[in-house]
Amino acid sequence: MMYDHFDNAVKGITDKLNQDPHGINARKKYVLELSRLGKKLYSKDENIAWCGVTAPFDLLGSMGVTSCFVEFVGAMLSSTQTAGYFFEEAEDSGFATDSCAYHRAVMGAVLKNAMPEPDFIIGTSSPCTAGLAIVENFAHQYKKDFFLLNVPQNYTQDAIKYLSAQLEEMVRFVSDHTKRPLSKQKLGIALENFNASSQLLKEIYDLAKTNPSPVDNNILKDFGTVITLLMGTQKGIDICQAFKDELNHRIKTRREHASKEKIRLMWIQNRIQYPFPINEMLEDLGAVIVVDELNDVTWDPMDPDNPFESIAKRMISIPFSMDASERIKHLQGLAGAYRIDGAINPCHWGCRQGTGIRGLISKGMKDINVPVLNLEIDCVDSRNLAKGQIETRVEAFLEMLS
Amino acid sequence: MNKKIGFTCAYTPVPLIEAAGFSPFRIFPESKAPDQAGHLLHDNLCPHVKKVLDRALEDDLPELEGMIFINSCDSMRRLADAWHEARPDDPIILLDLPSGINSLSLDFLSKEYERLAKTLFKWNNESFSTKKIKDTIARWNLLAASVKKIEKKMSRNYFPGIASKLQQIINTAATDSTDKALLMAQHKIDPEESPKGGQSPVFVFGNLLFDPKVYDLFEKWNVHVTASDFCTTSRFVTPVDITADDNIFRSLASSYMEQTPCARTMDTTKPGSIAQKIVQRAKESNAKGVIGFTLKFCDPYLARIPMIRQALQKESIPFLMLEGDCTMGSMGQQQTRIEAFTEMLGV
Repeated sequence: MMYDHFDNAVKGITDKLNQDPHGINARKKYVLELSRLGKKLYSKDENIAWCGVTAPFDLLGSMGVTSCFVEFVGAMLSSTQTAGYFFEEAEDSGFATDSCAYHRAVMGAVLKNAMPEPDFIIGTSSPCTAGLAIVENFAHQYKKDFFLLNVPQNYTQDAIKYLSAQLEEMVRFVSDHTKRPLSKQKLGIALENFNASSQLLKEIYDLAKTNPSPVDNNILKDFGTVITLLMGTQKGIDICQAFKDELNHRIKTRREHASKEKIRLMWIQNRIQYPFPINEMLEDLGAVIVVDELNDVTWDPMDPDNPFESIAKRMISIPFSMDASERIKHLQGLAGAYRIDGAINPCHWGCRQGTGIRGLISKGMKDINVPVLNLEIDCVDSRNLAKGQIETRVEAFLEMLS
Repeated sequence: MNKKIGFTCAYTPVPLIEAAGFSPFRIFPESKAPDQAGHLLHDNLCPHVKKVLDRALEDDLPELEGMIFINSCDSMRRLADAWHEARPDDPIILLDLPSGINSLSLDFLSKEYERLAKTLFKWNNESFSTKKIKDTIARWNLLAASVKKIEKKMSRNYFPGIASKLQQIINTAATDSTDKALLMAQHKIDPEESPKGGQSPVFVFGNLLFDPKVYDLFEKWNVHVTASDFCTTSRFVTPVDITADDNIFRSLASSYMEQTPCARTMDTTKPGSIAQKIVQRAKESNAKGVIGFTLKFCDPYLARIPMIRQALQKESIPFLMLEGDCTMGSMGQQQTRIEAFTEMLGV
């Protein structure tokens, strides 16, 4: 079922791109690559690893491992409106209804045998303990070997050394399973690709800061988190280049949505995954999400001569790995750089990590005079969506901002 | 009376607090403070963490010289974050606790425990002393041995009131001193007491169950608690094997990481081993059934309940799963289910 879904997506998007061979179509190219990744994950011909969100996908890719974080599947099931079936399976098996729905959906898919069996599992303690618990469930369910990367919360020399040493152990673990040693040359290429992608990301985000912004409410949706799956590859560079070209083109041609911008917004954490016309609604009211919290480059370039330390620093540098004050400082920095008028925090039901500091985020943003709309919403499970209530609150918030 | 150091997690080594000349004060989620924590954090968060924060916001705490936090789970991380807002003047130390058990993690945690020890001695203007740490560990180990002895007695026979008394001893170690708890262990449990019959032997586990009155209620509802595994019961009184390593902090790290872990800590070589451990403890304690009691919104435990249920089912051990907050009120609501469960066990 899932292989067919990705296969159809690849065919459909390829056809559309072929109809417009000279168009930039960055988002389509990006979705095409993700669909290709999905197809590979379900093809049964690859070494597959299910991972935590902050796993080093560039390093794994350089070792010939097709890897992905499990929440990606939860989001995909939600966006295709097939998650309900899997929620029920997980809940019937005892997974709490008030737990994170990204994890419930994907766990339901495991129990329904709708996930490709991995060769091994790489868990990460960041961003959340719930995610780690789910990947342990994966390892238990599939009876597969499990490697855990403890991502320390404090950015110290000891912490960096500790995570670097774990990454070296992970390489040995992966080699033992794939029977392929790490090629320094391939890793070097992956890190160079990662650096080139990171540089392009910075440029993309700088373009998004333009006033009015060339972005619409959809183009960079969940981009920062998901693009990490591709950043160690040439395809990743190509996708980033396409986004940069598209934004430049939009600035040059002053596409209509940019000129309609009245209110500049920041979206905190992840977007709503199921079809819910909030983007269109915001657009109708002249509001543009110019920045998503997770669309940022928080790391220094990778050093191919010191790969493990570079990757370790990168993993710890992600604001979700550190304490709330660092995350809030990061949000305040973005708010200033993008000159936003307000922020929307969809307090994803069941998320103790991100949503857990709802009040502290509101306070931190208030300190810099940025109002925050806290939406109590499940971003993945639409079964209890109070659509009318959410719409009214968004409307009232935008009215207040304007 | 010694000055107090507050803490909230069972991975906090009490001997280090006492060696530095402080008294431990575990902040239990027991308070009449109004619910305010949701404003700083979120309402859908662990009731333990929220109630502890309520106490801080309402100043329902004794005078504290500092706070120790451990990033054992997302909710605990959030508590540490909110503490800066709630009590900005408190000196705070946050320890990084690895989630998996291996040699690298033990090295890292031993450095974290060393950092904690040095910080505590500094907070009390005391000179750092390994000897003092070894001395307090020795007393702590005596307490751990006494607790183990009492648990052994509980697993063999039903002695009315013993579970509640054991909880009082452990709470004394958490909120006052090891020495007082040790004295209680030596005098509070009557060695000559005769066992009674007629109760259903049950192993209870979960994250937090600290109120001694809960254990009296269990008995009233026909439960003989044969053993328990909570971060507020025997798991808290972790014996430290000082012979494990020449480095005292590595000995501490391996003792705390390797003995009966909380659901948030895992042995990656045996994914899901928490389920097997619970089966094993239930069998060892001669229990006929298992009751799981976890707090609402506790991801580490709730995500492991399906595998625990499966493992118990495989062994034909009846299992009752309860979810609640930290209040006696929430326990009261469970009466009918617990009574039905013990009736089903048919003792």
